[in-house]
Amino acid sequence: MAFVSLRRVSKSYTKGREPVPVLSEVDLDIEQNDFVALMGPSGSGKTTMLNLIGGLDHPTGGEVVVGGDSLNDLSGRALARWRARNIGFIFQFYNLLPVLNAQRNVQLPLLLTKLNGKQRKQNAMTALDIVGLSDRTNWKISELSGGQQQRVAIARAIVADPSILVCDEPTGDLDRDTAEEILGLLETLNQNHGKTIIMVTHDPKAAEHAKRTVFLDKGSLSEQGQETA
Amino acid sequence: MGRIQFLLRCMFRHGLRTNLTMLSLVTAFMLFIMLRSVAVVFETGFDAGPQTRMQTASKYSMVDMLPLAHMNVIRSIEGVTDVTHASWFGGFFEEGETNVATFAVDPETYFDVYSDFEIDPNALEEFKSIRTAALAPQGMIERYGWEIGQKISVVSTIYPAPSEEGWVFDLVGSFESTNESDGFDPFLFHHDVLRETFAAGAVGWYTFLIDDPERADVVAQVVDRRFKNSSDETRTMTESDSWKSFLAQYGDISLMMTGILGAVFFTMILLTANTMVQGYRERVPELAVMKTLGFSNLSVSMYILVEALLLCGISAALGVGLGTLVSMGAQDFMPPMIPIYFDPITIIWGLILGLALGLFVGLVPAVNANRLEIVEALHAH
Repeated sequence: MAFVSLRRVSKSYTKGREPVPVLSEVDLDIEQNDFVALMGPSGSGKTTMLNLIGGLDHPTGGEVVVGGDSLNDLSGRALARWRARNIGFIFQFYNLLPVLNAQRNVQLPLLLTKLNGKQRKQNAMTALDIVGLSDRTNWKISELSGGQQQRVAIARAIVADPSILVCDEPTGDLDRDTAEEILGLLETLNQNHGKTIIMVTHDPKAAEHAKRTVFLDKGSLSEQGQETA
Repeated sequence: MGRIQFLLRCMFRHGLRTNLTMLSLVTAFMLFIMLRSVAVVFETGFDAGPQTRMQTASKYSMVDMLPLAHMNVIRSIEGVTDVTHASWFGGFFEEGETNVATFAVDPETYFDVYSDFEIDPNALEEFKSIRTAALAPQGMIERYGWEIGQKISVVSTIYPAPSEEGWVFDLVGSFESTNESDGFDPFLFHHDVLRETFAAGAVGWYTFLIDDPERADVVAQVVDRRFKNSSDETRTMTESDSWKSFLAQYGDISLMMTGILGAVFFTMILLTANTMVQGYRERVPELAVMKTLGFSNLSVSMYILVEALLLCGISAALGVGLGTLVSMGAQDFMPPMIPIYFDPITIIWGLILGLALGLFVGLVPAVNANRLEIVEALHAH
C-alpha cells in the first residue's frame, strides 16, 4: 500500500439543510518521499483533501490511510496525537502566534513531547538553522518579513520531525522571489531530509518544483496530462 | 519555553487590558477583605471574652446609668463570683481629635473580672492607690508614643472638663488582652474621679462573672427580675451578646456591606467575563492552529480555563493581601468599639471566591475552545 492512500473518499458539507458534495469517491496514492502538487480551481476541494490527509477532518465516505494508519478509526484525541507525531502543517498566512518570538513559535509543537526545556530549545534552534533563520531566533513575529515568517512556519512544521509536510498554498502570500526561496526550501526538505510533501497551489510555477502534479476539479482527480475522470 | 511560560505569555497578550482587569479585581478583593473584616464584627460580635462574663445595663438605654447599689445585689445572686462596673466617658485625645474608648472603672474589682488582661502587679497597685491614675492597652501606648509616668489629657463629649487642660490622668502602666480576637481597647481611669464630680452613685453598666456558663440565661433572668418594676430596670446578657447589641445600633451594616460587595462582584463578573470572551474570540485562529499542531480539545480548553483561574486567583491573592494590610492600617481610623476583626475564614473565602470567579468566567470560553472545529476556524480566518 502507498504511504498515503485515499480510497473512494467522499466529503460533503451541509449548507443550511442541503448537503454540498466537495469530493466524490476520490482515489489517490502518494509514495513516501514524494513531492506532490495539488492543483485545481477554487472550490475544487484541494484544501478539503489536504485536511483529510492531515487528519484535520473526517471523510463522509471511503478511507484515508497514512503511513499504515487508517485515520477513519482514530478518535479525536488519538487523531490529535497522530497529527503531532506525523504531520507538519504549513499555511498560506503562516498562522504563527504573535505573542511568541520566532524560536518559541517553533518550540510550540514540542510542548506535546517529553523533551525538556533545553532539548526543546536546541531542536527549535536546529529547525531555524535549517530554514536559514538562526540569526532571527529572538525576533518578534511582527518584526519578520512575510518570507521570514513562512520560514518560521516551516521550521515549526519540521521541528518534531514529521514524515509528511502538508502545505496549503505556502507561497500564496509571497512575491515571486520569496516564493522561489520557500519552494527551494521545500525541495531541500524533500530531497535531503526525506519529507513527503503534499502542496496545494494555484501557481503552475510553484507546481514545477514538485515531482508530481495532481489536478482536482469538481471533486474528481486526474494526474498531470490526464483527462479529468 | 514551558507550558506555564506559554500560558503567561498568552495571558498577557494584551498587557494593558490584562493589567487593568487585574487591577479591577485586586481592588474588588481588597474591598471584600476590608468590608468583611468590619462586617464580621456586626454579624457575630467579636469574641469579647469567656461565656462566663456577663453584662447588666439599663433596660431602656445604655445612656441611662444604674445605681451603684445594684452592685451588691448582683454580687449576692447565686452563681455570681465577681462583679465590677464601668462607665462610658466619651473620651478624646490629642486636643479632641481622636475618639478613643475611655472607661471609668472600679480599680479594686475591674481586673478580677477581666482576668484575661495581663497587667504588671506593681502597675495595678499604683492604679488602685492613686486617684488620678490611668491604664492604657500596650497598643494604645505605642500608637500615641506615650511613656509610663506621662500625664495624659483627655476631653469628654459627656463630662465637661474641670480645667482648661481637660481631664488629666497619670499613666501608671499598661495591660494587654490575652484574647487575640478581642477588639476591646479601652483607656481606664478611676470611677471615683467622676463620682466626685458628676456621676455620684451611678455607673454605666455592670460586668460580672458566673461560675457556670450553662446557667448564663438563668442568671440573667434572675438579675433582671431582681430589678423589675424598679426605677432602674436592667437588661442582662453575656458580654458577647451585649457587644452585638451595641453594634446593632449602627444599623444593618452587614446587609449594606453585603449589598455593596454583591454589586462590586456582579460588575467584576461582567468585566472579567467580557475580557475572557473577547480574548477567546481574538484567539480562535490560534487555538485552531494549536489543535492542528496536535493539542487535544481538552488541553486547549484547559489552557483557557487555567488562564482564567490564574487571572482571578492571582488578583484575589493580591487583593486579599493588600486588603489585609490596608485594614490593619485603617484600624486606627475606626471609631472606638468598632474593631476590625481578621477572621482567617474571610481570607480563605476571598481566595475561594477568586478561584470560583475564574472558573465561572473561564468556563464558557473553555467549552467553546473544546468544541472549536479546526477546519471551520481556519476557514473563517
